[in-house]
Amino acid sequence: MLTLIFPRAGHKINLLRSVAILIFVNTLIAVFLTYVVSINAPFQTIWVFSIIIGTCISILIDGLRWLIWRTNKPNRLAFLLVCAAAAPVGYYIGVTISMLIYGIPIPNLGGFITRSDRAMVIMSVFFSLISGVFFWNQSKLAEFKAEAEKEKARHAAIERQAIQAELQLLQAQIEPHMLFNTLANLQGLIAIDTERAQYMLEQLILYLRASLSSSRTDKTTLKQEFALMHAYLELLAIRMGKRLTYQIDLPKELQSLQVAPMLLQPLVENAIKHGVEPKMEGGHIHVSATMDNHVLHLKVIDTGMGLPSNYKDPIAIQAQVNELQNDSVDGNIQHVGNENIRDRLFALYGASASLTLSPNQPEGAIAHLTIPLQG
Amino acid sequence: MAQLRALIAEDETILSLTLIKHLEKLWPELRICGVVENGVAAVQEALAQLPDILFLDIKMPGKTGLEVAQELAEEWPDDKPFPLIVFVTAYDDYAIDAFEHAASDYVLKPVSEERLSKTVKRFQTRLDDGQERSGELERVVAQLRNLMPGVGTLGYANQAGVTQASVASGDAKTTEKLTIIRAAVGNQIRMIRIDDVLCFEATDKYINVVTAEHSSLIRVSLRELLPQLDSNQFWQIHRSTVVNSQCIHSAHRDESGKLSLKLIDRDEKLAVSRVYAHLFRQM
Repeated sequence: MLTLIFPRAGHKINLLRSVAILIFVNTLIAVFLTYVVSINAPFQTIWVFSIIIGTCISILIDGLRWLIWRTNKPNRLAFLLVCAAAAPVGYYIGVTISMLIYGIPIPNLGGFITRSDRAMVIMSVFFSLISGVFFWNQSKLAEFKAEAEKEKARHAAIERQAIQAELQLLQAQIEPHMLFNTLANLQGLIAIDTERAQYMLEQLILYLRASLSSSRTDKTTLKQEFALMHAYLELLAIRMGKRLTYQIDLPKELQSLQVAPMLLQPLVENAIKHGVEPKMEGGHIHVSATMDNHVLHLKVIDTGMGLPSNYKDPIAIQAQVNELQNDSVDGNIQHVGNENIRDRLFALYGASASLTLSPNQPEGAIAHLTIPLQG
Repeated sequence: MAQLRALIAEDETILSLTLIKHLEKLWPELRICGVVENGVAAVQEALAQLPDILFLDIKMPGKTGLEVAQELAEEWPDDKPFPLIVFVTAYDDYAIDAFEHAASDYVLKPVSEERLSKTVKRFQTRLDDGQERSGELERVVAQLRNLMPGVGTLGYANQAGVTQASVASGDAKTTEKLTIIRAAVGNQIRMIRIDDVLCFEATDKYINVVTAEHSSLIRVSLRELLPQLDSNQFWQIHRSTVVNSQCIHSAHRDESGKLSLKLIDRDEKLAVSRVYAHLFRQM
């Protein structure tokens, strides 16, 4: 009834519904007046009066609301005051219109406000206030619903993102190139050296199993991650022969430490892909974990091609959003892969976790991941 | 006819051993004259041994298989028949499309014996027919033009450009074109307007930026630089030379058929390799 014609914030105007409510409420009032208050008039007349008065009051309230607040949300107390004030005015207009319809001579204003009318005015104020409170709560409810709806949509979006990220993670882990290269080697080895073929197959199975299980959890242990890296590096060492040597150091006391999966693997992959593999004489990769003052240090050190000549920022680049932006503005260097890792680090551990790349002496690169851990 | 000799360039030992095994079975008359494990050695060995057939892995350290083919096309002695080249490539959708498009001979890793035997049969008929062999260089050159739009989009496409610090990034952002070259000269940075550049000459790790007044070294590779140049203005004419097309005066062919460019107001000549000779045909 309060959203009769004028638009309101966040609500569509539903004229039909408003009219239906208006008629229903005023019919109730007419019934009340006829049978409870026992006004000396036929129900039909009282009903017409009620409808017209109610409509007038509604339009008044709605119009005032629109004039004062436009489509903004009204102040609650002020709105109820408007309801109370609109009632007598609306009542007077409504009664006048009704009298015109029924051909009853309209008394002047002074004579109009008789005793019985005064009671009616008070009653109209009362009903108007009740309606006001009712509709206020109704719209409040609608707001809550809209809010809940929004929240739900947000959750759905987050969930979708999470699933997407998981898929990407999975894809990133077992890239087809790596798989086909391994299979090509396996195929060859089967004919040349069955025993080594058997061993390589075992490593592949270990690698695939570990990748799949670590992509399905959001927490894994360092032991698990290092086992995955061991299988990965072993596969590559078989393929690359003398060109790749590696060393993995995980202290016993850190084995059961919980970390997010897939933080180490991209770094090792990069060290292979951009460090050792393109280098004619190959190189060495050293993967290690150390704990210092509740900060976990994961290092991947290689003796490969080294950082590009245009990599200008060997100093620590913290996993912070603003600095990431600086990076991309910097232009020359685009470290998308590392940005992904930094984004994940930031999301998982906040700004205090970091990934830095620096040159290794005398050759190669060092990827250094620090993760602060409580307790 | 002397015994046919093949050179294999493949960085993974197991794979080259596998290929040799397959070839022993499919083509027993073929002699494997060498196995090399990187692109640089591939060029050296190929030029030293002048084999009849070359198996070139696309993704090798040092140089990609395509770069090896390009260099060989430029350096191969004129009086010797150019080898038949088979590119060996791992699973990689784009590369396969490119090879199909260029109608070049390639085999996929893992090597299927059926596929390899088809290639072997095709080669055998081609080698029987001496005529075909003489056009091999032109064939490879045409293939390379298709396979290397710009330079190196296959294998270690951005070997130097994409590194640990810039994982698989490049392509999206490389469209930004350079307008100013910043070259360090002593203590100062020389700002060179791109339009003033006559040509870029690549050496091992540096590029010599030549203008009318001076030449300055910048520490990037041609591979990193090329995507940042407007390909309409700057033409690659040799694997180590990129020239400002606005500064070219004329192209000359000498008695031996070698093509070279004369620049406007310059005395020196720039050699054009066979791979890029098509740029200087008359309209």
